[in-house]
Amino acid sequence: MIKKIKLPVLIFILLFFGAGLNVYASNIADPGIFDKAFEGLEKFWNFTGFANAHVTNFIMIGVGLFFIFLAIRYDYEPLLLIPIGVGILIGNVPFLEGNKIGLYEEGSVLNYLYWGVQQGVYPPLIFLGIGAMTDFSSLISNPKLMILGAAAQVGIFGTFWGASLIGFTPAESGAIGIIGGADGPTAIFLSSKLAPHLMGAIAIAAYSYMALVPVIQPPIMRLLVPKKERLIKMKPPRAVSKLEKILFPIIGLLLTTFISPSALPLLGMLFFGNLLKESGVTERLADTARNSLINIVTILLGVTVGASTQAVRMVMDPQTGEMINKGFLSPDSIKIFVLGAVSFIVATAGGLIFARIMNLFLKGDKKINPLIGAAGVSAVPDSARVVQNEGLKCDPTNHLLMHAMAPNVSGVIGSAVAAGIMLAFLM
Amino acid sequence: MMFLFVNNEIWTITVLGWLIVFAALIFLVGFFLLIPKLIKWSTRRAVKRRRNEAGSTEEEDVLTCEMNAAISMALFLYFNEVHEEESNIITIKEVRRRYSPWSSKLYGMNNLNFPR
Repeated sequence: MIKKIKLPVLIFILLFFGAGLNVYASNIADPGIFDKAFEGLEKFWNFTGFANAHVTNFIMIGVGLFFIFLAIRYDYEPLLLIPIGVGILIGNVPFLEGNKIGLYEEGSVLNYLYWGVQQGVYPPLIFLGIGAMTDFSSLISNPKLMILGAAAQVGIFGTFWGASLIGFTPAESGAIGIIGGADGPTAIFLSSKLAPHLMGAIAIAAYSYMALVPVIQPPIMRLLVPKKERLIKMKPPRAVSKLEKILFPIIGLLLTTFISPSALPLLGMLFFGNLLKESGVTERLADTARNSLINIVTILLGVTVGASTQAVRMVMDPQTGEMINKGFLSPDSIKIFVLGAVSFIVATAGGLIFARIMNLFLKGDKKINPLIGAAGVSAVPDSARVVQNEGLKCDPTNHLLMHAMAPNVSGVIGSAVAAGIMLAFLM
Repeated sequence: MMFLFVNNEIWTITVLGWLIVFAALIFLVGFFLLIPKLIKWSTRRAVKRRRNEAGSTEEEDVLTCEMNAAISMALFLYFNEVHEEESNIITIKEVRRRYSPWSSKLYGMNNLNFPR
């Protein structure tokens, strides 16, 4: 059987390669084929990332890899840093512009996904999920802790002032200032309205510092709160009735949005999500908001915000007509990062100092542990967790998590109100 | 006018903005300090009214020894978790096999496989 097949196979091989060699031999005299081949290869090379690479692309890829490393190795906000880190990699793979590939190219898939960021669609949906997963009972049981959430917003307004001081326009300063609110969705929402060209840098700064809360906050806490005060034990929060829990989102929604209607998309969704949770009759909707919906939006938001950090983005200058690089790595981005760090520090310090001032007017077991003031910067629930850890370091029996959740969630409300105020003043 | 290197507009937004955030949250604090008191007051009023309405029948609401014993027993069992937990599922699973050509005896007998 094998012998029968051998002969035709041998003939086929000879014919095939023979014919190929014949064609090669007949064409070797014609140099056009090599030119065409080189032309094709050159075209292919121009399309590759290697040909379009710029040193800044590699710097940004390094940043993306560092985010992924932080998320996996140290567990710093992995749900945010992994999508953002991968987004940075996606956004900084160099490509030939004009083929509907990049995030900023109209009609590209990434551009469609980025639309939700540009138009401020994703942040309110994230707030819906946050509302559906947040338990406001600690806040309702001790409402005076809500003031700490307002005190920590000094970071927003202090950074607004600082940004104006170093030459940003008022609208840009407002967008940069919101980094101090330690609230990613609010930062994206506000920057999409006030300074869309700075949105990438602002979002990355906000999320980076949120992830670095366990690194930034503890030293400030130890510096500003003496050990004696860190040992204060607060009395456990009272039980909150269901009626109060239902009334909270309704009253909160009406009160805060009447004061600051510009924050309606954020606060409306936050309190709506909370009512879905607390009403007890819309469990299915609450479940979708706190799981599937927020997960989908987090993925889209993280990847597109990461991809918006494209290091090289050639844009025509409307005045000179020249092509200039409007990429992510610019002196403005560096200034935003520095201002972001300062705003986080100021916000944390503001909350801590205000908590100490509050203690001057409180007596006996009503005194509060000033550490919970640090949770006034939103960053839910990371900053509350940091407070708990710091409290435990001083006294292993002092659990501050529940108490810290009150200023923490009021920080979310406070930063959304502050964003609304900024919009009202600067739009 | 410039004051400390920035103009008046910036100062206005910085100071006024922060004060408005404070005011909004203090407003909420006030409301939520008031609400528990309101709820307590309305509950107390409702209890009082109910007591007044049921004033004449109050003497009839006497618990008998049997009732006390039953309640005590129930509480005792509840706190000691003596009572076994039931699944609350009382449906008997259907055992009849539904028809399917895949499990049809007749089909299997009449359609013999191809010869091996």
